Amino acid sequence: MSAPQLRIRRRIPRTPYLLLIPAVAILLIGLGYPIVWQVITSLQEYGLQQQFGKPAPFVGLQNYIDLASTSQLWIVVGRSILFCLVTAVATLAVGTLLALLMNAVTKGPRIVLQIALLLAWSMPVVAAMTVWIWLFDRRRGAINFLLDMIPGVDMNRFDWLESPATFFVVASVIVIWMSVPFVAFSTYAGLTQISDEVMEAAQLDGANGWQRFWGIILPMIRPVIGIVLLLQVIWDLRVFTQITMLQDAGSKSSEFDLLGTYIYKLGTKSQDFGMASSVSILVLAITIALSWFYIRSLLKEDES
Amino acid sequence: MKRKFGVVAVASATAAALLLAGCSSSEPAAEAGGTDITLWLNGGDTPDALRDYLKTEFADATGGTLTIEEQSWTDALAKLTTALPDAENTPDVVEIGNTWSPTFTNAGAFTDLTDMYDDLGGENLLASFVEAGEVDGANYALPYYFGSRYMFYRKDMWEKAGLEVPTTLAEFNESAAALTTDDQSGFYIGGEDWRNGVSWIFANGGDLAAKDGDEWKSTLSDPKTIEGLEQLQALYESSSKAPVTESDSTPWVNINDNESTGEPEAATIIAPGWAHWSIGDLAEDPDDPTATVATWNDDTFGVFTLPGVDGGVAPVFAGGSNIAISAASKNQDASKELMTIIFSPEYQQLLGENGLGPANLEYASSLGDDQFATALTESAEGSKLTPAAPGWAAVEGSGLLEEFFGKVNGGGDVADLAAEYDGKIDELING
Repeated sequence: MSAPQLRIRRRIPRTPYLLLIPAVAILLIGLGYPIVWQVITSLQEYGLQQQFGKPAPFVGLQNYIDLASTSQLWIVVGRSILFCLVTAVATLAVGTLLALLMNAVTKGPRIVLQIALLLAWSMPVVAAMTVWIWLFDRRRGAINFLLDMIPGVDMNRFDWLESPATFFVVASVIVIWMSVPFVAFSTYAGLTQISDEVMEAAQLDGANGWQRFWGIILPMIRPVIGIVLLLQVIWDLRVFTQITMLQDAGSKSSEFDLLGTYIYKLGTKSQDFGMASSVSILVLAITIALSWFYIRSLLKEDES
Repeated sequence: MKRKFGVVAVASATAAALLLAGCSSSEPAAEAGGTDITLWLNGGDTPDALRDYLKTEFADATGGTLTIEEQSWTDALAKLTTALPDAENTPDVVEIGNTWSPTFTNAGAFTDLTDMYDDLGGENLLASFVEAGEVDGANYALPYYFGSRYMFYRKDMWEKAGLEVPTTLAEFNESAAALTTDDQSGFYIGGEDWRNGVSWIFANGGDLAAKDGDEWKSTLSDPKTIEGLEQLQALYESSSKAPVTESDSTPWVNINDNESTGEPEAATIIAPGWAHWSIGDLAEDPDDPTATVATWNDDTFGVFTLPGVDGGVAPVFAGGSNIAISAASKNQDASKELMTIIFSPEYQQLLGENGLGPANLEYASSLGDDQFATALTESAEGSKLTPAAPGWAAVEGSGLLEEFFGKVNGGGDVADLAAEYDGKIDELING
């Protein structure tokens, strides 16, 4: 009798591990291979000659040392982090406000709002960018036309893409527009989980709107907000298409670069793949560093 | 049971989607006997008539299908870098910007065509372009067409201001400033437009880089280059309303009457010869009510070549392309067949008739003898190529020249900027 019992106790559940295999395999092939290639390339001198088959000499950490000593890199890193934080926080704020609005209005307006958000979300990036670039066009853009109608404001032929400051305002507005629907829907889903009883009790106790939002709603949807902010920070740090298309419409000068376009210029356009790889590894490190805090707090919440 | 049905439905839908996706990406079946090849052309510079000619001739000669894929000039460099080394995805024959030819030729991207060189035109081919595609006496990339830039001007505005076609560069600079008003540019040039702006450097005897022994060095700080840059800076400030961030764009929209004001934005522009098809009196396109067509009007518009410092013709940037066979291509023989068609007298003749300078100068007369042909030939004679340095494509790709010209035209200190960008360009120019 004791033998079978022992066997039961010792049995290791295999199924979960078997089920994990496809996901892990896809990750390894899809992410592992490029990362390994990138790490190797970042330690090599790899230019156009190597691209056409010449052997690539290993140079150790030389690419990283060269990079660390160029001020250009640190300027771009600083600019990218600032851009990504401002944009991510603004996206979150606008998205949360829209979610609260969806929660407050009746069914009709809510559906209109949701359809509008879905349309913005499903719009292909290149199509949306083309329209945005037209909107901000120096000569015929609707934005300048409307602003110019305000008495005392002279925006005729104002070139939004000429100076880095306004360039990044435009870029930020576009990125926010593109990512707000995701934040709004996620937060709205979170809001629907708050029970009416709690809100009613708070109201009876005399809590005003702001107190209810700050003291009850926000703590209750914090996990959603946390993960959404994390995703936004990661997305906004590696933003590429929007910036590169705005550069096509404006200037390709380095003052208008974020990390994505900086790497592209270094690698594909100036054909220094070794250096471009080491910047990419750096971006990976920055992403992990920025999100580390959030991932840890999320894990802690999971455990408790 | 219901759920199971759902799973099966989803699974079969997924499978179908994958299969269909597989079908749609498969290549069209090859015609019996012929080899199918792909030709990459950049931008819309090669007109449709010429493309059709190539396809028909290629089919007649080999029985295969020629697929022409158009790449935009902005992305071409990046696409060539990634596609050319890859035997599975490389185009067989590629048009390559003449200034990029040395870089790719040195990297070993192209097939050696030395044994065909004499059959394709030999000595008659445009020498400076042949040189750009040559390594150690072997020919890899050959000229495809040339098209130097010249000036288009509003005769009506110049005459009204009592100005004649200028005969020296200084006279041009003065006239442009005189024609500038609050709303109109005397001469419209983007601040970052180095391909046109470089003419002022060339005209003053300067250059972008020079070979010093075995090494290339950027020569922006050369006194002659500085002289040209200072003239350009002054001209941009006095005469151009274009944004400082604008680079090589579509300047002809500025010389036509603006639809909303009825006035042109500029009295003068510099543009490639084929821009004349887009310049003129605007009228609604009979085939498409949303578009307009331009009809050249000799009373309103005229052309001249940029004059040199002491008269004559200023050396302008020699625009144009080379053409080569990808070394990684599996269809070398069929590709060589296409090269034979491209360098045939018929095709060279067609290039000229369509306003593109033919690679084989024996057929230069096909350009005709109208004012456009005269201006093109005149400006091409003195035109200059960018340095044939191994790293030149990287210099262009990095955007440093746009950045430098933008800062100069933005009013920066020319000598300081020149020293700064000499340093940056030197890091890339030797490959």
